Amino acid sequence: MRRLLLILKNDILRHLKAPVAILLYLIIPIAMTGLIGMIFTPSSKDNTLPPIQVVLVDKDKGLASRLFLGAFDADQMKKMFQVTVADEAEGRRRMEKGKASAMVVIPARFTLDVLEIKPVVLEVVKNPAEQFLPDVVEEFMNTMAVMLSGAIQAFEPEARGIRLMLDGPIDAFPWESLGPEFGKAQKKVVAAEKYLNPLLIRLQEEKTKAVGAKAFMTRSDIFSAVLPGMAVMFLLFIVQTVMRDIISEREDGKLRRMLTTPLRPGELIGARIAGGWLMGFAILLVMAVFGTLVFKAYWGSPGYFLLLAAVTAFWTASFFALMNAFLKNRNQAGAISAPVILAFSVFGGSMLSTEAMPKAFQAIGLATPNRWFIDGAALVREGRFPAAALLVLAASGLILLFLAVPLLRRRSTV
Amino acid sequence: MRRLKRILRIAGNDIRIMVKDKVFFFWTLAFPILFILLFGYLYKGGETAPPSAELTVLNQDEGRWGAYFLEKIKSPGIVLKTAGTEPAEYNRLIILPPDFSEKIEARKDQALALKKREDASAAAAARVEIRLYQAIARLLSELVLYGDGDLTKFLDGHAEFRDLVTVKTRYPAKTITVVPGGMDHAIPGITVQFIMMMVLIYGGVTVMEDRKKGVLSRLLFSPLSPGALYQAKLLARWLMGMLQALMLFVVGKIFFRLNLGDVPLSLLVIAVFALATAALSVFIGSLMGKEDMIIGLSILMANVFAGLGGCWWPIEVVPPAVRTMGMISPAYWAMDALHKLRFFQGDFAAVAPNLGVLLALAVVLSILAGRFFKIRD
Repeated sequence: MRRLLLILKNDILRHLKAPVAILLYLIIPIAMTGLIGMIFTPSSKDNTLPPIQVVLVDKDKGLASRLFLGAFDADQMKKMFQVTVADEAEGRRRMEKGKASAMVVIPARFTLDVLEIKPVVLEVVKNPAEQFLPDVVEEFMNTMAVMLSGAIQAFEPEARGIRLMLDGPIDAFPWESLGPEFGKAQKKVVAAEKYLNPLLIRLQEEKTKAVGAKAFMTRSDIFSAVLPGMAVMFLLFIVQTVMRDIISEREDGKLRRMLTTPLRPGELIGARIAGGWLMGFAILLVMAVFGTLVFKAYWGSPGYFLLLAAVTAFWTASFFALMNAFLKNRNQAGAISAPVILAFSVFGGSMLSTEAMPKAFQAIGLATPNRWFIDGAALVREGRFPAAALLVLAASGLILLFLAVPLLRRRSTV
Repeated sequence: MRRLKRILRIAGNDIRIMVKDKVFFFWTLAFPILFILLFGYLYKGGETAPPSAELTVLNQDEGRWGAYFLEKIKSPGIVLKTAGTEPAEYNRLIILPPDFSEKIEARKDQALALKKREDASAAAAARVEIRLYQAIARLLSELVLYGDGDLTKFLDGHAEFRDLVTVKTRYPAKTITVVPGGMDHAIPGITVQFIMMMVLIYGGVTVMEDRKKGVLSRLLFSPLSPGALYQAKLLARWLMGMLQALMLFVVGKIFFRLNLGDVPLSLLVIAVFALATAALSVFIGSLMGKEDMIIGLSILMANVFAGLGGCWWPIEVVPPAVRTMGMISPAYWAMDALHKLRFFQGDFAAVAPNLGVLLALAVVLSILAGRFFKIRD
């Protein structure tokens, strides 16, 4: 046991003396979490998207189109849309540069058609390079169209009156008749107020979790949700780097030389696996501390999380011990381990939320440590004990260990 | 001419060794296709957003207005499910309270509870919400128009609401006519990301290994100069990137009906991008002496550049500041050019600025890589 601890201490010190690769693997998940957080963390509570850039093309330049443009000046609208008035060519240029999600074209004769109570078609030209925001603009315009249709019908007689005004010579217009017309319009506005201020019907949204549904993070917890996935992915990379000593020592003859001393193969193997485990555990702790300090990530109960981290690191060390028992040399290890880690990470949910994946991919994910660690960490954040994750990782880790030790022992003595 | 032949021979040999390696196919083909499938599925866009969004309705209204309001919500894209009591499982639930009609008739404002399950489809939720807002707008418009008198008799008959203003959507002239699919967005993004990943890792590690194992110094026993050797290594890594792009585009064309717009111009964009990446890989391989460090740095750079450059998510959802920051990523310029070609049917003039930036980057990195290229440690 003393010898095992000595080897372990020596190994850890050796890795700490040349820490650049490990540091790089530590920086990657933190950088990725920071990047994802920067992109997907909403800027305010109400608004999850940046303001949508819209170009308004006014081919009418009349009273109605100006009123329509004015509607975009309301504070609520300014939060949602950033409007630029331009012509179609400029609108297209902006779309090509990614500076406009859609272009709303107010047709020529818009004012006249509105005043004549004729059907009007507003055009929404969507940016073909964008996937989501143009649809938001389209649906918003559909809602505006309903409201405009209502307003036109509400003020139909007044609209027709104004239309007449526009036709005749200005000196022939019966100005005295305008007073009663405006009076009627004012009464309608007052009457409409009882339905519109406050709105007679409005929606009160509430976010819920369905019975039995898996915990789902709010957007403000995005760092806490992303970091565990990234951490376990790079835990795999770091532990495989550390555990590759098993192969390199066999390959360059160090192992044979070490076995001429009173060291037993079991002690050497035990030290290597314990080294991978300890290093993995330490890496997860460093990432958790860093995440807490920098990203204000929330991990839940420290005890549960430490237990989960320890079991995941144990699984990882056992897995790479077994893998290295089968591999012949460092090249083979390098070539195989990275694809295996990336496959684990893709299916296990380190790169994409498992809920967004097809069902078959989700099922494959259950065979990865990433999935169990991520799910376990989510439960710990909710204040629950990650029993299933711990059980699966510990049991499969033990099986991997029991398979790895005899194989490694045999290869060490050959 | 002889020099060129020698360079081509060395580069060809590098490619031959690489293609013989089974892992090469994992990195160049199998893994990117896995990513394409995942991201294509994730960002399917308009054509595959759920065909109908579900809304569960708990109509407790004791009057007639509840049913009237529900009629307004109905649309081909919305599936209304009625429930007698609040169900345990739902995606979205709207509750019309018992006094819904009473409050309308008394002209008292009210808030309807809309419960949304957090982990249900956000796209479907948005569709339902918009439809609800449209139904409310329609109902309020009718009330403003015809709700002067006794509202208890309102539903006995009133004039029909006319949709005088309608909305027509289209794409800009001379662009696309069909809604682009998720694969049209995913394949270029994943191709750009994996060119970076593969060329940087594979290219960087092999430059370092050739130096460490003395392959480079042995090659100098041939009539090859160090400069020509560097050019051969750069060419081989550029060919790696091009080979990977071609394979992914062909697979995309055959299996996913990928449309790149102008194919020769798209390949030109990829060629210049691959050159910049190849130069970076030689630079990294020359500077670093450990495989793990090269792999780590390559993964870091490829992922950060891919994320900033819009390879993973639609760049439109990225905050403006991060979008500006993305310009430091070569992937941003490549993706932007590919978008112009695919979605705006752009020509050479449209992508010339992107090509200029990528070419300048390729030249700077090639000079740096040449300066630091070492035959032996």
